[in-house]
This record gives sequence, structure tokens and C-alpha cells, in this order.
Amino acid sequence: MTLQRGPQPYPGQEKRLRLLAFVRQDSVVRVDKRVEDTAMVWPHLLVIEFIVAMLWLVALFVISALFNAPLQDHANPDRTPNPSKAPWYLLQLQELLLHMDKGLAGVIVPSVWIFFLLPIIPYVDRSREGVGTWFTNSTGKKIFLFSAVYTTVLTFALIFIDAAAKSAGYIEWASQNLPGGKVLIPDYVIPITVMTGLSVLLVVLVKKLFGADTRGWVNALFTGFVFAFLVLVFVGTSMRGPGMDLYAPWNLPTTIE
Amino acid sequence: MLEIPAQIWEKVRRNYIWRSLFRHGYPDSRKNQSLAVFTNVFLHLHPVKVRRHALAIPYTWCMGGLSFFLFLVLTLTGTLLMFYYRPTTEWAYSDIKDMETVVVFGQLLRNMHRWAAHGMVITVFLHMVRVFYTGSYKPPREFNWVVGTLLFFLTIMLSYTGYLLPWDQLAFWAVTVGYNIAAATPVIGNEVAFLLFGGFELGPNALLRFYVLHVVGLPLITAFLIAIHFWRIRKDGGISGPL
Ligand code: HEM
Repeated sequence: MTLQRGPQPYPGQEKRLRLLAFVRQDSVVRVDKRVEDTAMVWPHLLVIEFIVAMLWLVALFVISALFNAPLQDHANPDRTPNPSKAPWYLLQLQELLLHMDKGLAGVIVPSVWIFFLLPIIPYVDRSREGVGTWFTNSTGKKIFLFSAVYTTVLTFALIFIDAAAKSAGYIEWASQNLPGGKVLIPDYVIPITVMTGLSVLLVVLVKKLFGADTRGWVNALFTGFVFAFLVLVFVGTSMRGPGMDLYAPWNLPTTIE
Repeated sequence: MLEIPAQIWEKVRRNYIWRSLFRHGYPDSRKNQSLAVFTNVFLHLHPVKVRRHALAIPYTWCMGGLSFFLFLVLTLTGTLLMFYYRPTTEWAYSDIKDMETVVVFGQLLRNMHRWAAHGMVITVFLHMVRVFYTGSYKPPREFNWVVGTLLFFLTIMLSYTGYLLPWDQLAFWAVTVGYNIAAATPVIGNEVAFLLFGGFELGPNALLRFYVLHVVGLPLITAFLIAIHFWRIRKDGGISGPL
């Protein structure tokens, strides 16, 4: 008797096999079908994964042997350190708090970014062009560099302008002379206008200068997000001293307990 | 001499128990290499073959894999830390102190958990950056990018909830900043603050809530989303690459 391979119908039921459905493969699994250069996962990928995991494990051991995690005195609600800072990965929000309404800076802006602007990126930029290539092409690289410089310079500039205006008595002036006092225009109107205005300006600029397509201007805005994030984290970590005043990073006073 | 280890190896491989574990020979042929991957529950997250350029470190920076690696390290060290830590305002701080002074390797354990947590925020951020600039979110990977943004949010929340647990000055005042932000939510500020912190000041309720979120709630959701993330990578045709 010859053995047949694969699952067999029960005796007497051979005729009951029937076509259930015809599934076009790419409706379930959207693979790109191309003849291409492939490598076996065992060993090529697994070796890389193993080595990387081991290197990082060793690195983590070394770092943990050299540096101790911080532990200060027992929590004391009556002793406020000056300044009190959030962990570094939230300092960009704490920095924004200094420049606009708290709810706008701490809740609305980050929520809009993380639950709306970031997730919709693939639904805005839907072409498949440039996938798998860093920055798409040389124009993409230029847009990236331009947006990075634009955002870094402007974010620093805005922080310094705000500090200068405040020390020139702008808040007092605003509460007496502006409609809505020191809240409406300084806390809402100006920050919202500046944030959206500069983003729109960036898009217009990359379209003008580099003839950016959709991928191009999405690239510009994402780069703006990344660099604004980094600059704000940097300023929050290394340039904010007691009273959340601005200091040069190399002159930062220690926290007053 | 040298035949002896070879003979032992041969014996082990023919052994009934060994063969009940592994249903393929040593992965030195294509067939056995494929079987090694897809008969193993852990390895079969991978396809049997990948496109060559997906192996390139300049392409992925290994950042997704490293984020996952750090997630595993954090789960392991975190579970060990749980043996010594009680989430109450009476005990939390002294338990951490004991960890550093009394528990064998306690300090090392705590350091590893701490630095891996900071590291994961960095690797996840860099992973997002590499996925964006290589255009890897483009069709058919739209949805996996969305899953990714949620993972980014969860990673930050995991780190942040953990930050309170030592109940020292650093933790207390850093989380106070967060409390003030939550309370400033327009319209429902008080409700949000109460929900997250269990009261209108940072006290025992906040500590317990953050603890439960940190060790159960958020890790479960994260693990769940990572599973979806990895499944989708396979279903979207593997790591992206030039058309
Ligand atoms: C806990 C966090 C995360 C883990 C453990 C994780 C893990 C991974 C891994 C292992 C890969 C395989 C390729 C690679 O290593 O680059 C991958 C791919 C991918 N990830 Fe993540 N990821 C995380 C967060 C994110 C975030 C924040 C985003 C974006 C917002 C994202 C979007 C993607 C996309 C679109 C792919 C497919 C890329 C391609 O096909 O080239 N992931 N992820």
C-alpha cells in the first residue's frame, strides 16, 4: 500500500470534500511578491539577535554595576525641592507648562500629538514610494536637515523670547492692557497661533524650497516634532534651575531642598 | 578521544525523550533549519526566511528588537523586585532601602530595572524615528504604525508609574508635577486626577494605584499590543524594504 502524504478524508467520506471558499491570498496576507535575495532565519537572523541580546545584557550589567539608581530621602509633602522636575522623558511637557495654559501644555498638546497627529501619518501619506529607503531620496534628506535646523533654532528662540518678555514685565502689562487679561491672549491665543503658525510656515517653506510632496511635508512636520521634543527635553533637563529660571547648562545650580 | 563527545551527542539525539522535544535534526540543512524555526513556539514569531536587507543593522538599528529585549529584562527584574516591595507609604521606602543594603544583589537588581526602563524609552523613541524615516509605515503597514504609537504611549506610562514607587523625595515631587498636569485637564480635571491618583493629594491611594498599573495593568496591555505588533509584521510581509 502506498502511503499518501497530508491529511486524508475518512473512508467513505472522500466525496464530501468540497470547496469552501476561494481566498485570494493578498486579501489576508499582504506580502510583496518579488523574486528576491533571502536568507534563512536560522542561522543568519538568530545569530544577530543572540549577539545583540548578549552585548546589551553585558552592557546593562556593567552600567548597573557602575551607577546606582538614585534614592533620596523619604517623601515629605512639606519639603518642596526647588525646582521639582518630572522624569526627563516628560520634561518637554513641563517646559511647555511655563509658556502656556497648563491644560493646553500638559494634556491637549501631547494628546493631540500622540492620539491624533502621529497615528494619522500613514493615512495622510499613502503612497508607497520610497519605502525602505532612508529619507526617500536626497530631497528628503534636505527636507529633514532643513526642518531640524528650523525647529531647533525657533524652539530655542521662543524660549528665550518668552523669558526676556517676562523679565521685562510683560505679564503685568498684559493683565492691564489685553482683553481677557493675562490669561486669554498670553496663555491660549499666542501659543496656539505660534505652534500652528510655525508648522504651517514650515510646510509652506519646504514646498517652496524643495518642491515637497506629501511625504516631504509629513517628513518636515515629523522632524519638527522630534526636534521640538529633544530641544524641550534638553532645556528642561539642563537649563532650568531653581524657580524654573533659565541658566546656561554649564552653570546650572543644584536643587535647593 | 574526540569520538567520545560525538558518541554521547549521538546517543542524546536518538534518545526517546530528546526526540519527544525536538522533531528535527541539527539545523545544518535547509529542511532542518526551517523545521527549527517553525516547530518552536518562540522562534516561529519569525518567518523561515527573511529578505537579506532586513538583517542590516543600519536599516533597523535593531531598535525594535532591543525594545522587546528590554521589555523582557524589565519583566524579569521587575518580578524579582516584587518579592521585596510593599506598595504602602509605611513600607515602600524602607523596602527599597533594604533592597540596597540587605538583599543579596538587591542593589544590582534595582539598578538594572531602573536603567533598562530609561533605556526602553530611548530605544522605543529611536525605533519610531527609524520606522518613520525609512517610510516603513506606508501601506500595508499603516495599522502597525498605529499600534506602535500606542506602545510609545504605554512605554512612557510604564516608566512614569514606576517612578513613584520608591516613595522618596525624587519620586514624590516628580509625580506631583504629573498630578498638577492631570488636574489641569480642561473641564474634567478633578475627575481625571481622582481617577489616576485616588484622591486630591499624593498619598497611599496614589501609590497603590500606580503600583497596580505598573505591575499588572500596563504590562498586560503592552504585552498584548506587542503580540499584535509582531503578528502584524509577519502579516504585512515582513520587514519593509525597497519596492
Ligand atoms: C514596546 C515598543 C515596541 C516594540 C517592542 C517594537 C518591536 C518591533 C520589532 C521587533 C520590529 C521589527 C523590525 C525592527 O526591529 O525594526 C518592529 C517593526 C515595526 N514597528 Fe515596532 N516596536 C515598538 C514600538 C513601535 C512604535 C512606537 C512604532 C511607531 C510609532 C512602531 C512601528 C513599527 C512598524 C511600522 C514596524 C514595521 C517596520 C518595517 O516593516 O520595517 N513600533 N517593531
